[in-house]
Amino acid sequence: MDFEWTPEEQAFRLRLKQFLAATLPDDWERFSQHGPGSPALTRYAETFCGKLADDKLLTPHWPKEIGGEGLDPWHQAILAEEMWIAGEPRGGQYMNVNWIGPTLIKYGSQWQQERYLPPIAEGRALWCQGFSEPGSGSDLASLRTRAVLEGDHYRVNGQKIWTSYAGLAQTCFLLCRTSDDRKRGISILLVPMDTPGITVRQIPSLIGEGDIHEVFFDDVLVPVEALFGNEGQAWEIIAYSLVNERLGIPRYGLARAALDRAVSVLKEEGRWNNDAVKIEAANVAALCEAARIASYAIVTKRAHGELVGPESSSARFATVMAERRVAEFVVEYLPEALADAHPYLKMHHQRGIVAGIAAGAAEIQLNIIATDVLKLPREPR
Amino acid sequence: MDLSLNDDQVAIVDALDALTRPYAAVSLHETGFALFDPELERELSKSGFLDVAAVPELGVVTAAIIVERVARLPQATNAALSAIVAPLLGLSAGTPLCIVEENAQARPLRFLCEGATVVVAGHSITSFTVTGDQVRAEPEALYGYPVSSLRSVPSDRQQHDVSLDEFYTRWRIALAAESAGLLAAALQSVCVYTTDRNQFGRPLASFQGMRHRLAEAQVRTNGVYWLAIKAAATLDPADAALAALHAQEAARAVVYDFHQFMGGMGMTLEHPLHLWTYRLKLLASELGGRGANALAAADAIWG
Repeated sequence: MDFEWTPEEQAFRLRLKQFLAATLPDDWERFSQHGPGSPALTRYAETFCGKLADDKLLTPHWPKEIGGEGLDPWHQAILAEEMWIAGEPRGGQYMNVNWIGPTLIKYGSQWQQERYLPPIAEGRALWCQGFSEPGSGSDLASLRTRAVLEGDHYRVNGQKIWTSYAGLAQTCFLLCRTSDDRKRGISILLVPMDTPGITVRQIPSLIGEGDIHEVFFDDVLVPVEALFGNEGQAWEIIAYSLVNERLGIPRYGLARAALDRAVSVLKEEGRWNNDAVKIEAANVAALCEAARIASYAIVTKRAHGELVGPESSSARFATVMAERRVAEFVVEYLPEALADAHPYLKMHHQRGIVAGIAAGAAEIQLNIIATDVLKLPREPR
Repeated sequence: MDLSLNDDQVAIVDALDALTRPYAAVSLHETGFALFDPELERELSKSGFLDVAAVPELGVVTAAIIVERVARLPQATNAALSAIVAPLLGLSAGTPLCIVEENAQARPLRFLCEGATVVVAGHSITSFTVTGDQVRAEPEALYGYPVSSLRSVPSDRQQHDVSLDEFYTRWRIALAAESAGLLAAALQSVCVYTTDRNQFGRPLASFQGMRHRLAEAQVRTNGVYWLAIKAAATLDPADAALAALHAQEAARAVVYDFHQFMGGMGMTLEHPLHLWTYRLKLLASELGGRGANALAAADAIWG
């Protein structure tokens, strides 16, 4: 058991910090208040990710044969931490390198890999994730968007909602129903967003401009080559993807950085010398660090090539607890941050609201922990 | 960074489990408030499990792994202070050890008895060997440990050449590691009971109101474990203060819930849950409680 970073890992983190310091514009903290999916940040992310790719820092954890550096999951974790702490200058592209790419590598056909992996590795792709529907949120297996095979095309009809980045994404990782066999009736299509029949409507959000959308599919014709994996294999594939995604955003890192920033502001302004504030700050720090180490325990398993199971839900819920308490700390002791006094803290607050909602609601994580970690009997349906 | 147990640690845990298996299987019917077995204490000392902190390649982190595991047993043991604090003071493992803060001498001390070594934490770290007339037994105490109080503290004490930071760091790690094991065992016992107990035609633990709160307890318990183990690995005062704080906060959050979930059985001495939860209550008050540990953490992190 070793809690020390290796010299090589430390050097990698330092390299990332230096890259960020040299690359991000001077007004970045204010600029980053644009939502990750906003047109401004999406445009900036193309430039930023291109530079990351030039420095071989965009997909260093991918295998060498498809443009990566073959680095281990610890490097992926360090990369994700540094980017998220910086305010995620990769915008929506973080999703590409975190789970879209790895899922393409594991399940994609040769054609799909050749078409989709290079743009991701070069930092010029943006994907959206067509999962939730108006009637299917946490109960994802009840989704109704239907794809009917007609010769060499699927005809897709239905509606998605809460779809991040859909306004500017080129491709949708779309879950749709190809039969009525609940989970086994769900398939994945990789759908170009400029296909006729797709309509996107942005939903104003607390996170910022351009983050969540409704997407309508009206008689959208998608060639059979777009089928990802086999018909009915979606549940298996997204289980793999979500394990990556649940760990993909190291929110504990930004939460802790925001807490440190808040303390620093309180000290500068002479408001730190107050036991009530210190006690709360320490409690919040404990939650952040507990979430961090629980997440590192998961990365350890991945680094050993072991299957990551329901313990990732426990790490994820720990992160939700931390994220929330940091937001509450800032509101209570630095309310001016949510006006415009401290852009970094405002950015954290805007994004923090998502922590327990996206990528599987916090309550679903608790269900998974109850059933699969604690082995409690399921609730009858 | 690698948070998996190494081969030595796996072997130690296996051997420890073999040693403690008979103790884990004892009858727990009406044990009273405290369950203590001197034979277990002797076996743990004799076997060398409590000496590992002094072995450079094993260190305090392995001691914390052992302490967490031993704390899951229904028997109260002094393993935490023996394995984690005693080596810092040059005391041999197995020495009955109690710690008292100079400004809180009235509090009940676990395992205080004639012949025990009492460490006094004040402006410096000192200790003395307790005589019979300095001990007031507390047979009616509600804590899950055998506890006694000090009638007096002698002024003539042995001085230990350790810094307050080092000492408090070890004490906090010991508290957090033991708490992690107690939380895990208490949670496990509640999960078993609420899975077996049927009401409204189905297991209690199938109701979401209970499932979610138990799951949240799992998250807290997991957090305490990892913060304790990390602090044991780094011996960093900030890590240790966070671990102790999180342990005491977790105890506050879950102990009453656990008894609540058990219904009537949660009020009895027939079920062993109290053996772990009532120990957590005493640990929650050590080191000045949550507030003092939080202030220590804040000072260590931010100054």
